Amino acid sequence: MVRGEWRAHPIRTLVAVLAIAVGVALGFAVHLVNRSALAEFDAAVRTVTGSADLRVEAVSAEGFDESLYPRVARLGVLSATSPVVVVNARAKDGRSLTVLGLDPLRAARVTPALAVGAGPAFGAGGAASGEDSVWLSPALDAGAGERLEVREGGRRVSLPVAGGLPSVETGQRLVVGDIAAIQMKFDRIGRLDRLDLLIAPGVSPAAAAKAVAAVLPPDARVVTPEAESRRSGDLSRAYRVNLGMLAMVALLTGGFLVFSAQSLSIARRRSAFALLQVLGQRREGLFLQVLAEGAVLGLIGSVAGLLAGAALAWSVLGLLGGDLGGGYFSGSRPPLEISPAWTVLHGALGLIVALAGSLIPALDAARIPAAQALKSAGQAGDPGRRPPLAPALFLGATGLAAAFAPPVGGLPLFGYASIALILAAGVAAMPWLARLMIAPLARLPAPVPVRLAAARLAGAPDQAAVALCGLVASAGLMAAMGLMVSSFRGSVDEWLGAILPADVYLRVANAETSGLDPALQAALAALPGVDAMESRRSLTLTLAAERPAVTLLAIPPGEGGAPDLPWRAPPRAWGEGEVPAWISEPLSRLYGLSPGDRMDLPLAGRTITVRVSGVWRDYGRQFGAVVLRRSDYLQITGDAGANEAGFTLAPGADRTETLRRIRQALPPDLAAQTEVAPSAEIRAVALRIFDRSFAVTYALEAVAVLVGVAGVAATVSAQTLARRREFGMLRHVGAGRGQIQAMLVLEGAFLGAVGAVAGLALGAVMGQILIHVVNPQSFNWTMDTRWPWGLLGGLALALTLASSLTALLAGRNALSSDAVRAVREDW
Amino acid sequence: MSTPPPLRIRGLAKSFPGGRLLFEGLDLDLAAGEVVAVMGESGAGKSTLLNLIAGLDTADAGAIDIAGTPLSSLDEPGRTRLRREHLGFVFQAFHILPYLTVAQNTALPLVLANVDPSQALSRAAEMLAAVGLAGREADLPSRLSGGELQRTAIARALVHHPALILADEPTGNLDPETAERSLGLLLEAARTRRAAVLLVTHSARAAESADRTLFLGRRGLGARHAV
Amino acid sequence: MDRLTRRGLLTAAAVAGILPPSGATASTAFAQVIPGRHLVFPRDHGAHPDFRTEWWYVTGWLEGPTGPLGFQITFFRTRTGLGETNPSRFAPRQVLFAHAALSDPRIGKLLHGQRIARQGFGLAEASERDMDVVLDDWRLVRGRSGAMRARAGGEGFDLDLVLTPTQPILLQGEQGFSRKGPKPEQASWYYTLPHLEVSGRLARDGRWAPVRGRAWLDREWSSTLLDPSAVGWDWTGINLDDGGALTAFSVRDARGRAVWTGGSLRTADGRLWTAPNGAVAFEPGRTWRSPRTGAVYPVAPTVRLKTVRGERRWTLKPLFDDQELDSRPSGGPVYWEGAVRVPGGSGYLELTGYAEPLRL
Repeated sequence: MVRGEWRAHPIRTLVAVLAIAVGVALGFAVHLVNRSALAEFDAAVRTVTGSADLRVEAVSAEGFDESLYPRVARLGVLSATSPVVVVNARAKDGRSLTVLGLDPLRAARVTPALAVGAGPAFGAGGAASGEDSVWLSPALDAGAGERLEVREGGRRVSLPVAGGLPSVETGQRLVVGDIAAIQMKFDRIGRLDRLDLLIAPGVSPAAAAKAVAAVLPPDARVVTPEAESRRSGDLSRAYRVNLGMLAMVALLTGGFLVFSAQSLSIARRRSAFALLQVLGQRREGLFLQVLAEGAVLGLIGSVAGLLAGAALAWSVLGLLGGDLGGGYFSGSRPPLEISPAWTVLHGALGLIVALAGSLIPALDAARIPAAQALKSAGQAGDPGRRPPLAPALFLGATGLAAAFAPPVGGLPLFGYASIALILAAGVAAMPWLARLMIAPLARLPAPVPVRLAAARLAGAPDQAAVALCGLVASAGLMAAMGLMVSSFRGSVDEWLGAILPADVYLRVANAETSGLDPALQAALAALPGVDAMESRRSLTLTLAAERPAVTLLAIPPGEGGAPDLPWRAPPRAWGEGEVPAWISEPLSRLYGLSPGDRMDLPLAGRTITVRVSGVWRDYGRQFGAVVLRRSDYLQITGDAGANEAGFTLAPGADRTETLRRIRQALPPDLAAQTEVAPSAEIRAVALRIFDRSFAVTYALEAVAVLVGVAGVAATVSAQTLARRREFGMLRHVGAGRGQIQAMLVLEGAFLGAVGAVAGLALGAVMGQILIHVVNPQSFNWTMDTRWPWGLLGGLALALTLASSLTALLAGRNALSSDAVRAVREDW
Repeated sequence: MSTPPPLRIRGLAKSFPGGRLLFEGLDLDLAAGEVVAVMGESGAGKSTLLNLIAGLDTADAGAIDIAGTPLSSLDEPGRTRLRREHLGFVFQAFHILPYLTVAQNTALPLVLANVDPSQALSRAAEMLAAVGLAGREADLPSRLSGGELQRTAIARALVHHPALILADEPTGNLDPETAERSLGLLLEAARTRRAAVLLVTHSARAAESADRTLFLGRRGLGARHAV
Repeated sequence: MDRLTRRGLLTAAAVAGILPPSGATASTAFAQVIPGRHLVFPRDHGAHPDFRTEWWYVTGWLEGPTGPLGFQITFFRTRTGLGETNPSRFAPRQVLFAHAALSDPRIGKLLHGQRIARQGFGLAEASERDMDVVLDDWRLVRGRSGAMRARAGGEGFDLDLVLTPTQPILLQGEQGFSRKGPKPEQASWYYTLPHLEVSGRLARDGRWAPVRGRAWLDREWSSTLLDPSAVGWDWTGINLDDGGALTAFSVRDARGRAVWTGGSLRTADGRLWTAPNGAVAFEPGRTWRSPRTGAVYPVAPTVRLKTVRGERRWTLKPLFDDQELDSRPSGGPVYWEGAVRVPGGSGYLELTGYAEPLRL
């Protein structure tokens, strides 16, 4: 009987299975990508730190003075201390790599992962290599005896390759050399970036961390393994949030489609079920049978979804690398990390959703009154009954309340719960809403087909709701995503305009410790065609060991004494003799700082206390940024260098020519790593990147909506086919074929419109939760709502059209002459 | 008489698609207000005959005039209009739309004929009163018993004053007592409104209520059961 | 053979395993051992960084609460020839290596530990003024009184010893110039402080207990490697109970023949006899086969000295047989180094090149 049902309605069954599969696939892919990316990150951290129990890290790329090394080493709480110089550089092809300078005699105890590679390998280099030889991870493709060219700042360094680091994780782009040679070659004499520490036996990690922290200058921090893993979690959060949301969309849509498919299938088989009851089948048996059908659907969908998810994750990782294009570590495809437990869990999720979708239909099947169902092949339920609103109201109220809950572990779990609850509320309210929206139509003195269609929809809101729930879910969630993305894009666009006021921008890539020296800055400012030049210094600072580094920007102030930034609220004044600092929104939220607060910055080996004087929007630096006046920065650090500059062109100056002059004014090595571009172009590129990174999102959303529409199509056609006798009767009593077709098209259109309106309304609410709850809680930035009217209107129109078209196609079949005679079929 | 007869059939022939002959040379005349029962074995073509008369199926030969209009002269919309104006139907399975109220179901032929909705509903209410369902206008079909559903169907069949009512086993789904009452109601209402009734039935008891009973066979309709 | 070359090999092997290979060796000007100069103290207790290799080598016997123990604490300094022009404080010009071992017959094998670091930052330093070698928490330092303090440790033991000289410095060879091979440049500066009185404490598994004993310090520095024909050496240094001090070494070739021998005998009255090449012989006696490496060591040799007054012989008897050390995991060789007794004396015996030829 089950198989017969599915064979009779393969499309509907397929769509339900497909929806489950899409949901499971997305969820599983998100999990795999996340897990593999995290594993990759952990591997990177492990490779670089080995089994170090504890690390001391520089708060900025300037490193710390090497005299800290003996101070820490002699503390007595450590059994080994390994000093490390870290240089983030680029290969000749522009891809980034990490150069580590190690003392192999020290590293051998603390970071054997590197030292094993550095041990025997150090001896295997052959006579050709010298003391500045380096050893490369497998991902760096250069053999012993060759030379590796590395670029950093404006510097090119050619290093003889002595051999490989076979024990380093594939995918890591790592260069290991002797610490002294690296210090000399990269001009880091006297500076260290890291100390890897092994805690002495019998000393607790906390005690060791405390003892170490006590001797650290402001430009170094203790990092514990826990802080490390927390930080790596932060890196991939953005992706988890986005893709997790999409997975939820698909899975919930799938659940509702299973509900639709099962409800219809039950309705169609009422008499068969009734017959089974008469023949002695127990009600529980029927209930279990329907559940089992759902379970089979869920199982097939889940298995297909798991396979598709693994494939999806694999291609995403291949396409974007372990950090999904985030740039945290350089382009490598990490291996897929599949754990049996999580695989089963995701598969079970699909199964649970399918079972949940089958629950109500199964209860219905068990409740079919045998006698009545056998006597008339009529519809289940009482169309006259007012659909209840209380459950929907309850769900909605709970959902709204959840929106106000704080994040859990830095993740907007309640925000998601809120979205799910509001979606459930919307679907639960569908019968009521459909009735409310359609009833007025039935009273209109409209042409016959309109009145018939309206009467039918108003009279059978439950059926309308069954057809609609999948559509409402997918349309609602898509509208919510669309609203969020459009608001995000609009805000980013506005922000780009605010942070790029000059005509042309210059940026030295990857140059935290060098860039434009004062003489070069003066030369650039004096170029013909340049009206004004604003130099900026940007560098990264670690403010808290367990958080990723923030960006420090030293910017010349504008007219009011504060720089021109995309303010969230007008900046406030600061006291005489105070150093004002303006912090970005993510920094404000992450570190709980507001205007008027004092804030400590580790600069030039000292702790500088500044006054937070304003908060500005920033979508570029997720982990936070702080702006100082360039004059204050110069006074504190004596660093007059710059690595960014904005040029305002003189009126009438030829932009292309000026760009050429700026490029030519740079020394060749520096020019190789310097981007000079008109701000309009940067803005266009930024938006293009934005659109590209959301293109995946759009594509996946489109899939979700297509699945939703397909669900409606399958449901509508099934319902239409089930009404063949009704059409036969109407034909008898004098309805024309055209009238009935018009009725069906209108029904479909009404249905689609109701679904679209309800979905969009629901989407608007859920979009607001995404904008005001999920985004701030995940990314720590806010945005202004921007309504994508075109997208929403188009979506509504497309849904309406798709729905009516489906009804029309189904109607053609139902109106064949055989069907007309169906009035006389018994059942 | 200037009024044409509700139904006039001459030389009607119909075969199954496979070629097996159902009947041929079938003639039938119904006068206004006349009730004729048609009986016959299963598969004799009773339902096919009704479809042919309703213009939903095409005969191999012969002519059907309804209220003086030859069906063959009409195109599809014309036949639809003809059904809407001159025919009423009562089905074994009632075919009352569950999502419409009793009055709305009854008013359906008027609505399809584009009668003003309020007028249509008041005419439907009158008709319902005539079949004993006064006060039930706003009920939904799910509240009605089988007999009440069939009375609604009867009201729907008569509400637009058709010349001819085609009733296909109208009592097949009812218990004998209800069946008898419903049939009585149908015939009385039809006679009152001078509508002819062609009653297809298996039930000899039902056929007794008719003015005359004909048997359908391969040679058409005869007064006696013909093999 | 002379401990100079021997130690040079050990240290060089250990360091070469870990440091970058050097293309600079040939071009680095190492100081040469040239006879004629007089050693000056305390300056020459300190390091001589211009030479390729140097060591401070303490071996001795302790009387612990559970009976006699052997111990050795050795510090090596190697000039790598690397980073000579690099201004970085991490430049690996000098590498310090230290080794400690405890011979406890109740355990039946050596307990040991080691430290290695490039010189610098006060964490690894060798003073050029007096004896003061630091390697993380290990140290060998000579105090103003002339007594030395040595701290080191290893698997389950820690040593914190005061070594007090009871006799004057013993200059080996010609006023400290000690030949190691047939070529004149195969030589080292070599002096010994025998009969060091040991006091201090020994920790076993974290529990300290006082110990007393008698030790021997060898000091040697040079730039020259072993003769190419050599595969290993035997060496011994014995504190004789009558106050005498016996030193003997023999460098062997692949067929077990002596390539070069040397040594000395100083009697309690201070008279020193220095053995010319060929005057010392090691006669293999009982052998012990290592179950780990399969090497067969003559753990109880008889040392013969042909002095002007006639031949003298001492038959050595190990504290226990298994005093083999396999330092291959840290890049070193396999050798036997253990506490030995002679009738009327005690000291240390070192046997190298038995598991496999020592390679350069």
